[in-house]
Amino acid sequence: MLKPLLVFLVLGPLVGLSAYLCKVDLAGFLPGLVKGMEVLRFFFPPDWSSLREMVGPALVTVLLAAVATPLGVLLSFFFGLAGARNLSPTWLRSIARTLIGVERALPEIIVLLLLVAALGVGPFPGVIALAIGSVGMLGKLFADAIEELDAKVLESVATVGATHSQIIRFAVLPEVMPALLSNSIFRFEVNLRASVLLGAVGAGGIGFELQKAMALLEYERAMMAVLVTLLLVFGAERVSDYLRRRVLDGGKLA
Amino acid sequence: MNTTAAPLPVLSCVPPSVVFRRRTAIIVGVVTFVTAAGVFLNFKPWMLFTDFHHLVRLADEMIPPNVALLWKKTALYQSVAETVAMAFLGTLVGGLVAFVLAFVAAKNTTPHPWLRNAARLGFGVERATPNFVVLLILFIAFGFGPYAAMIALAIGSVGMFGKLFADAIEQVDPAPCEAVASVGASPFQVIRYAVIPQVLPSVVANGFYAFDVNMRAAIALGVYGGGGIGFELQLAMKVLRYPDVLALILLVIVLITGMERVSDLIRRSLLRSEILK
Repeated sequence: MLKPLLVFLVLGPLVGLSAYLCKVDLAGFLPGLVKGMEVLRFFFPPDWSSLREMVGPALVTVLLAAVATPLGVLLSFFFGLAGARNLSPTWLRSIARTLIGVERALPEIIVLLLLVAALGVGPFPGVIALAIGSVGMLGKLFADAIEELDAKVLESVATVGATHSQIIRFAVLPEVMPALLSNSIFRFEVNLRASVLLGAVGAGGIGFELQKAMALLEYERAMMAVLVTLLLVFGAERVSDYLRRRVLDGGKLA
Repeated sequence: MNTTAAPLPVLSCVPPSVVFRRRTAIIVGVVTFVTAAGVFLNFKPWMLFTDFHHLVRLADEMIPPNVALLWKKTALYQSVAETVAMAFLGTLVGGLVAFVLAFVAAKNTTPHPWLRNAARLGFGVERATPNFVVLLILFIAFGFGPYAAMIALAIGSVGMFGKLFADAIEQVDPAPCEAVASVGASPFQVIRYAVIPQVLPSVVANGFYAFDVNMRAAIALGVYGGGGIGFELQLAMKVLRYPDVLALILLVIVLITGMERVSDLIRRSLLRSEILK
């Protein structure tokens, strides 16, 4: 009996305070919901005739993610090597880990806004923002995977006279490859979603199409863009699930 | 990778030359595809060097950060509180709704298989929809500001949580459920006394994880007009006050890492304590 009371006493004031800060308007919720439903009606039926114009932007969105992911993986791999305790000196490790942590704390959209401010709109800032955005997640995962390597493997390669790069090539890379591949494939999925979001702030693609249609109050067209987005994300999820299962089962892609 | 002594028929049968050829084919394929995609997108990697001075100029304008802003502008405190409140309330409301829906979406507790499929499909569609689309619709319904953003975060949490919770419910040990049912408990009582105690730890752990995700999302939604610190950041950017921008970015980094630490701490002590048992 005490427990529900305790939970209520802790959560109650927090919820009240947050509700006040968020300007929650319970009386306005139902009218808002009705209004929202009415607005949703404008989105149907989707404007099928615009489907043809959506194909190009959809392709741009996918390709943005496709170009950014390998770049991000490459970048993250170096960060992973630098951030692993067993491969790099302490000073380098702490710098790499700090940078990874800072990047992970920054939402992609902020990185993109900065790049847009410096370089203007277009695919270039979009790709760079996504590639940098991958470092926060993949860099940490790679560094952790490398740190978990069996020290014996590294030592045995080192004792036969391998240089630093040879240790990486013949001991580290084969061991972390499955984790590297499966995480990278998952990151492609994340990047695809992010690429839609970034499109809305100027990277082009289906996100931009969506934003434009919403701004011009062409809701049926916007609905079409949403459907195309859903298709892309669902498709990417399926493909990435399939590829990841293959990687984890066989330890390699082919 | 394979340290086991057991024979590996598939791997050992493939001669090294074939492995090499396959690997080369994959690498060449990926490189060709990425290059082609880059050409198609008009992506010019050398822009990183030719336009590097633009990046340097931006950094030059941002440094030194106008850190004084953080204590001079008291409205910022409210923005920070707004962002945290959005994430907190969005996670809580979304989590509660998802918790109820998860019982519909789980194989072993669903009232009807059709309802299960419908709930699963709903979660899937929600997860695939970018949350700023939801936000744009909510702006029309509830006006700009943190209220709409909070609801968008709650809806987003339903998609994310619903699946996780439903999967957790499907993995519960059936023995306690049968034991409770055999002494005459109704389906609701089975859920209350056999299912919920089993899933509660994973539900709470996932809740804290979702809060971390929602903190970042709250900042991103703020940029689109949802209020809070993201909105402040976007405003500072629009009026080109870059020292302010850098100060706000530092604030965001400190805020997110700080909240992550706090939520990690609470989660650990909560999972260790007796409250959930």
